[in-house]
Amino acid sequence: MKSELNAPQRSFMAELSPVLIMAAILVPTYFVLPSKMMAAEILIMAIPTLSFILLLGYTGLLNFGTGSLFAVGAYTAGILLARHNVHILLAIIAGVAMSGIISIIMGYFCIKRVGLIFALLTLAFNQLIWFIIWQWKSFTGGPDGIWGIKREILELGIFSINLKPTFNFYIFVLILFLLLFLFVRRLIESPFGKVLMGMRESELRATAIGYNPETYKWIAFIIGGLICGLGGALFALHQEYVGEHLAHWSTSGEFAIKALLGGTFVLHGALIGSGVFIFLADFLNRFPVLAKAGAGLLVLGAIFILVVMFFRGGIYGGVEKVYNFFRKK
Amino acid sequence: MVNIDVILAQVFNGIQFGVLMALLATGLSLIFGMLGIINFAHGSLYMIGAYFVWTCMQMLNVPGKFWVGLIITLPLMAIVGLMIERFLLRWMYGQPVVYQILLTFGLLLVIQQSVALIYGTTPLPLGMPSSFEGEISLGLFRYPVYRLFTMILGLAIIFGVWYFIERSALGAIIRASAEDPETAKTLGVNTRRVYTWTFALGSALAGLGGGLHAPLIGGLQHTIGTEILLICFIVVVIGGMGSIRGALLGGIILGIVRGIAGVFWAPASDFVMFAAMGIILMIRPQGLLGRGGTR
Repeated sequence: MKSELNAPQRSFMAELSPVLIMAAILVPTYFVLPSKMMAAEILIMAIPTLSFILLLGYTGLLNFGTGSLFAVGAYTAGILLARHNVHILLAIIAGVAMSGIISIIMGYFCIKRVGLIFALLTLAFNQLIWFIIWQWKSFTGGPDGIWGIKREILELGIFSINLKPTFNFYIFVLILFLLLFLFVRRLIESPFGKVLMGMRESELRATAIGYNPETYKWIAFIIGGLICGLGGALFALHQEYVGEHLAHWSTSGEFAIKALLGGTFVLHGALIGSGVFIFLADFLNRFPVLAKAGAGLLVLGAIFILVVMFFRGGIYGGVEKVYNFFRKK
Repeated sequence: MVNIDVILAQVFNGIQFGVLMALLATGLSLIFGMLGIINFAHGSLYMIGAYFVWTCMQMLNVPGKFWVGLIITLPLMAIVGLMIERFLLRWMYGQPVVYQILLTFGLLLVIQQSVALIYGTTPLPLGMPSSFEGEISLGLFRYPVYRLFTMILGLAIIFGVWYFIERSALGAIIRASAEDPETAKTLGVNTRRVYTWTFALGSALAGLGGGLHAPLIGGLQHTIGTEILLICFIVVVIGGMGSIRGALLGGIILGIVRGIAGVFWAPASDFVMFAAMGIILMIRPQGLLGRGGTR
């Protein structure tokens, strides 16, 4: 029994190979995409989506608070960079830590409930944080947001990278993303992740075996918050601006769409969903009539409804089904 | 510092706002109580109602066109509700609650952006119906006639719905279909049709709420539904999910708290609402008048 709970033992290269394959695909992607900003944005937006998937797909919790946690990371990093001129890595770490602290508090209250009530509680917390950001003008800039975030040279001891060119920044984000991906994959394959999935299937059974669901869910929620914070901090660097709309619950909703679109039962879903969402929205907004009314969201919303109704596995699940169908023959 | 009549007027304003929100929450609560679905698109239905009234007012040129528009809106909204239930929600019964929430959230986006595409994103002004302009004296302070009227009408409709659901024979069928669908089916009730019409009734209430509220909001925008949705959730959560009396109580409590908070520090009114929702969800998730032991 015990051995089944343990993570699969792989050699170092076997552990690393999927990430290397992803890197091999993602680096050239930068040159294919229509705008230079898009590549980094897709990766950054995939990070909170990953957090959403970790909670919904692997733990069974529908978190409507991802937007506010994302914004907390972005504001923390943004304020530190724009006003206090701290080291970029330090600002990112601070953003992650701040989101972690907020999610400890938020999680403490929210994980006591499940299903609908959990979703509504996270929604209420999300709006509380949005409201604080909106009102606290002297600190967060209120409706104006934070301007003057500088993405400059990253000093790392003996060598330094200039993050200003979009390609350099993209590689920087890619490295962090792949590290995060490795970490989350390791996490869900660990005994901890197995317990989470067990609770998703039946909380009662997990409790009967002797696990305390609340502790596990709380930790999962906090890890989700930390991941959102990383996404937020990188987004602040990416945009060189932070606005209050990031904290609004509609941002959380967008992460939900991205996750469902890509597939919530597999970690790659975050990247696929984020990529398809951003690419499609950009494509649709190229038509002036549609862009004016935000019709990108209309089409994506319609696709989203179809996904929820018929293709719960998202794009990844759909492709997998087709693949299995042909392999059986 | 603050005069008593100012506070009184604000409390009265709050109650009026609360009754209107209770009207919306009644529909939301009805749908939740009977169908077990929490409808994120409820705010969008409210918005469609307001836009229907606006469109009717543009197209008609008769005296009292606002009221004609309001009356036309009711069956139109019921049809919208019927279509949503028939083509989307029907597939979701018995599915995990998470997917029901996500489906209605997608619906919210689609409706909101469709309206933006059709009507544009600039706010559309909607004047006060001419026969209800002006103010009336209520002893200590003067109060706009239209607000007073919406309050009375809202209360009457909520009472009517409550009476229909809790006291009439048809209401008994609806409640039976919600509580024990198997037995109801055995007794010859077409539960699917009951669900469909319940959703249509909820949609009509949302549309009516939107139409009545429309003259009080400065201009119609495609985002008004999203803002109102959260207030509706708060009302339902405070009062108790699935309870009509709870919706009314929740609405009035919320309105008064909001009104008083607004007197002292305007931005606090929103903060108080979300804080109230969070606290009630944690301490008493079934709400003040809720029945079930939903965890």
